[in-house]
Amino acid sequence: MQQILVVDDSPTIRRMVRASLARFFPTVEFLEAASGLQAIERLALGSIGLILLDLNMPDMHGLEVLQFVRSHEKYRNVPIAVLTTRGDEESRAAALKAGASAYLTKPFSPDVLGREVRKLFAGGDELTASA
Amino acid sequence: MGDEFLDRFLNDYYAESEEHLATIRRALLSLEGGVGQARPDAAVTEELFRSFHSIKGIAAMVEHREAEALAHEMESYLRAIRDGQVRVTTVGIEGLITGTRRLELAVSAHRSGQPQPDTTEAVSSLRALSTNDEAGAGTGASAVAAPWRCVFTPSPALLARGINVDLVRSRLREHGEILRAQPLIGDAGAISFEFFVTAAPEADVRDEWAADGIVFDTVDAADALPPVAAPVPADTSVLSSGHYVRVDLAKLDDLMRMIGDLVIMRARLVDGLAAVEAHVPASVWRPLQETTSGIERHLRDLREGVMRVRLVPVGEIFRRMPFVVRDLARDSGRRVKVEMRGQETQIDKFLVERMMDPALHLVRNAMAHGLEPVDERIAAGKPPEGTIWLTASAAGEVATIEISDDGRGINADRVVSRARALGLTVPALIDDGALLDLICSPGFSTREESDRASGRGFGMAVVRRTVQELGGLLRLSTEPGRGVKFTVELPLTLAITDALLARIGAQQFAVPQAAVREVVELEEGAIRRLEDGEVVPYRGMALPVVRLSRLLGIESAGGRRPHAFIVGQGAAAVGLIVDRIVGQREIVVRSTVDPLIRVAGVAGATDLGDGRVVLILDAGAIARAVRQRAASAARTATA
Repeated sequence: MQQILVVDDSPTIRRMVRASLARFFPTVEFLEAASGLQAIERLALGSIGLILLDLNMPDMHGLEVLQFVRSHEKYRNVPIAVLTTRGDEESRAAALKAGASAYLTKPFSPDVLGREVRKLFAGGDELTASA
Repeated sequence: MGDEFLDRFLNDYYAESEEHLATIRRALLSLEGGVGQARPDAAVTEELFRSFHSIKGIAAMVEHREAEALAHEMESYLRAIRDGQVRVTTVGIEGLITGTRRLELAVSAHRSGQPQPDTTEAVSSLRALSTNDEAGAGTGASAVAAPWRCVFTPSPALLARGINVDLVRSRLREHGEILRAQPLIGDAGAISFEFFVTAAPEADVRDEWAADGIVFDTVDAADALPPVAAPVPADTSVLSSGHYVRVDLAKLDDLMRMIGDLVIMRARLVDGLAAVEAHVPASVWRPLQETTSGIERHLRDLREGVMRVRLVPVGEIFRRMPFVVRDLARDSGRRVKVEMRGQETQIDKFLVERMMDPALHLVRNAMAHGLEPVDERIAAGKPPEGTIWLTASAAGEVATIEISDDGRGINADRVVSRARALGLTVPALIDDGALLDLICSPGFSTREESDRASGRGFGMAVVRRTVQELGGLLRLSTEPGRGVKFTVELPLTLAITDALLARIGAQQFAVPQAAVREVVELEEGAIRRLEDGEVVPYRGMALPVVRLSRLLGIESAGGRRPHAFIVGQGAAAVGLIVDRIVGQREIVVRSTVDPLIRVAGVAGATDLGDGRVVLILDAGAIARAVRQRAASAARTATA
């Protein structure tokens, strides 16, 4: 089964993101990480098909996570949607340059998030079928 | 976003932002110490930056615009400080404090459905702070040696044993500071994590850790820390959020209630066993008895475990006070410092929440009525700066919170004349206890108009009632010209406590053991009349005693050797006489908050397990009443 990894240090935001997406992807398993290092560990040990990534986190900046994943030959093609907050607009260019597949600014509606994520899964088999 | 969707997350939003606000309040206090420095404590700045950033993110998600805007501006200012673009100034910290206050108001207004406070002014003055282009001084980058490098390679097998990168990080933190943490790509794409740390555990521990995929080596001084392009945020999150769950207090209350039911069931079992003891062989009965003692032990452990979960540092109450005092001091031209002791004392979360407003009121009172303006203090030969002390301590089953000041003290004459004007009964002897009774009378206030500092519809009457509802005790001591001290004593445990069971006539009563200093057996003949009351010789002095049978209007069974509880210390000690003390047991307190049932001297009721309901006597309150009556009788006798 494919997994979606939600990375954000706020438990509330992790819950909101999961709740927004659960409707669109009823058969996907959601994993959470509260920090950059934890996210990379989940990635290494799980079978992650998509990452939703916050930028400002306590241990490792989201951009570093992004760069790391893109530099890894096994994971470099995992789609990563960067979810960030107002004020980080300047990081939009940096994130896209570092290989972000999508860039969303909070707040976003569950529908917008679902639509964006579905685009990233367009090639995925069971996901498109169930969505 | 759909309102219904958002509503589901609002409680999470309030709880999480309250946590961040608590961190912010603490960090702001320590930031104040760094005024004027080019680069204040980097860890504190980073902590503040992160907390505001987090609030901004959640506020944005739940579409709370005012909070988002405020948090955004404060985050920007802190970013500018962190990156050395602006210097920390007093004005800046004032701005952060005002902004934080606005943010708190905005969140609480959002929560209670009130209109949002005006935040435009706070937002624009904060914006001015971070656009200040004053040059920052110094690079401030301090080179710290990292003698140890540690590499952790995760694996599914390790994960199954609960060993993950977060655990490794918290293990490392127990031994030293983590200067840098980053992921590595090894052979065949294997992922591992590299930590640079200031200290490592002993060699034998390192060997044990090797089995957990954690390997250490030392770092050459030359390449101690690879140069870092971007500022590496200091790792300030002491505890990784992954190891914590947030629990609704009501669920813990439910657990405690269930344990209470178990305690009652066990008491019933013990009574049942005692009834069959004569009918079963000792070899059968003894193991049963051992089993029930085992259950009792485990019940105690369970109860203590749940209690410990509910404990939080009393500092949560204290932390707000410097802000309150600071605001009031500035508005009123006073100079006041706050000194705190014992903030780490742990008490029940419920008590912390209920004590917040009473403590605030006492501090506001100290500011409004106690502490004098600077010129008045100098004229009185006092230091110009007044002090408010907040002290907490715990001993036995009682937690004590003291709020005191070195102000002018309570003017007894003014209190008395105000009380007479209100038509209150004024006792002949005005001691601290009588003063407290008067100022805690409903409607009492020595100021005709409540000002900003006190008032707010939360009077001393409410303070005392709250403390009493929590099973606690409020005391006052004041000295003219020297200050006022309020002492709040609270039971650490609300629900279950050890009690002595006493019999008067056919009635049984429970007295919480924490209130009783000693139990003595008296000779009926040794009780002597003295004026209105009775005394017995006790440790070389005459101890006032009172027969509870008389006080409660219950016929005593008589008997030549009654028992007495000694309550209170030294000159305040009083003996409470009962027919007999019949035992000791753990009781479950059901408080009687119904005002129709509430009687002075009765703290609640308990179920002994056999269906009998027994009243729990508030020995402290009874003893105080007896002392007061004795004191006023003595006064009348000499007058």
